[in-house]
Amino acid sequence: MLKQVKELSERFGIDPGVFKRLGFMLRQETVFIADRKVMEFDQVKPIRRGIRFCRVFPHSVKPTTWAMQILGKHATRNCIDVTKEQAVELINGKQLKLNAAAENGFVIIRCSGHVVGVGHYKSPILKSQIPKYRPVE
Amino acid sequence: MAQYLQDFPEEFVERYSRLIPDFADFLKVTGTASRKTIRVNTLKATKQEVVDWLGDLGPEALPWWDLAFGIRDVEGIGKRLGHFLGLFYIQDAASMIPPLVLDPKPEETVLDLAAAPGSKTTQISAMMQNTGLLIANDSSSRRVRGLVGNVDRAGCLNVAVCRMDGNRIGRLLENSCDRVLVDAPCTCEGTIRKSHQVLNRWSVSAIQRFSRLQNGLIVSGFRALRPGGLMVYSTCTIAPEENEGVVTYLLSKFPNAFVLPIELPGFVMRPALDTWKGESFPEPVRHCRRILPQDNDTEGFFLALIRKGDAEAG
Repeated sequence: MLKQVKELSERFGIDPGVFKRLGFMLRQETVFIADRKVMEFDQVKPIRRGIRFCRVFPHSVKPTTWAMQILGKHATRNCIDVTKEQAVELINGKQLKLNAAAENGFVIIRCSGHVVGVGHYKSPILKSQIPKYRPVE
Repeated sequence: MAQYLQDFPEEFVERYSRLIPDFADFLKVTGTASRKTIRVNTLKATKQEVVDWLGDLGPEALPWWDLAFGIRDVEGIGKRLGHFLGLFYIQDAASMIPPLVLDPKPEETVLDLAAAPGSKTTQISAMMQNTGLLIANDSSSRRVRGLVGNVDRAGCLNVAVCRMDGNRIGRLLENSCDRVLVDAPCTCEGTIRKSHQVLNRWSVSAIQRFSRLQNGLIVSGFRALRPGGLMVYSTCTIAPEENEGVVTYLLSKFPNAFVLPIELPGFVMRPALDTWKGESFPEPVRHCRRILPQDNDTEGFFLALIRKGDAEAG
């Protein structure tokens, strides 16, 4: 397992077994995650394998919203639950002020049992790291 | 009928009034929008969760697939939180049929030869339970960007996106795919309900041009198929030259191509044509199916299910 994946797995308390059947690939500061069969495929050269898992910066590893939407359901720590109204505000780029049982740093934002995306928490401010999308109402 | 006729090119009416027995019904329904439908994305949500999220739109299960729902048509469904979360995918009902007929299984190797924008790709990915290898190819850089966006939002971990000429990819993947979907670019006559712009681009020469392209794509898709594998050829158009004619072309090139019957209980489909403009299609082509907009309140489609036999034994 790549060290960046291990780091995020530990931060969010995701059982490493979740990644058992998945492969990872680091390319230009981005880690991609996909089924192992996708990673091993070499008959033609894909322009993309699976989805982006995280971006690697010099001093941090930032998980992506799309990867966390599918894998973040296994997270057991550093998750913040918000209401639907708060989720919409975050998707639309706003930040929230709240007290959460999470460490400072990247967090998984959840709403009604589903992962909304990734945020950055520095108590008490939760900043959205969700990619720009069409406005959500 | 006259009130609808004025929207259609004369040549279009001349062709299809002969081909569609209930042509008046066809014209009438193409003047209305098809029912809005969504597909549950089982990679992220259960059927019940989606029903709960869309409760105010009166989701109604469609009789032919338990993950397809009709909803009340309202503005801005694509701006809803549940859509952002990828819990459901807005997709015309007829466009869900080719993957259902293809019936991909977990762990298989599947090629979606003309994949963008990805509605069928994401459906196939979910049907494979996010396992195995789904090669999603499209030749256009612009369309591939949209495909990647939909793969991300749907959470597909089993997709390799390729940007290649569809005519070429079959040779590179020769005999290696369990299933292949060739949802070919076409004149889109079946999507008139969505956009009457289709009629502005419509011409018999466009049909002939697409037909040549489709001949290449169906052959390429067939090459990629392993012996015993299954291929679905589909279009969202009515023109026999792009449908029965293309399947006939494949059969003429490959004696080990076999057209199989298609059944989807609860969904009305019509048999393919046996002749068109003096050309007789081979008997197995009758197994193909036509989906007309007036039968299920959808767009129009054409479907062929083809099995690749062993080169010698069939």
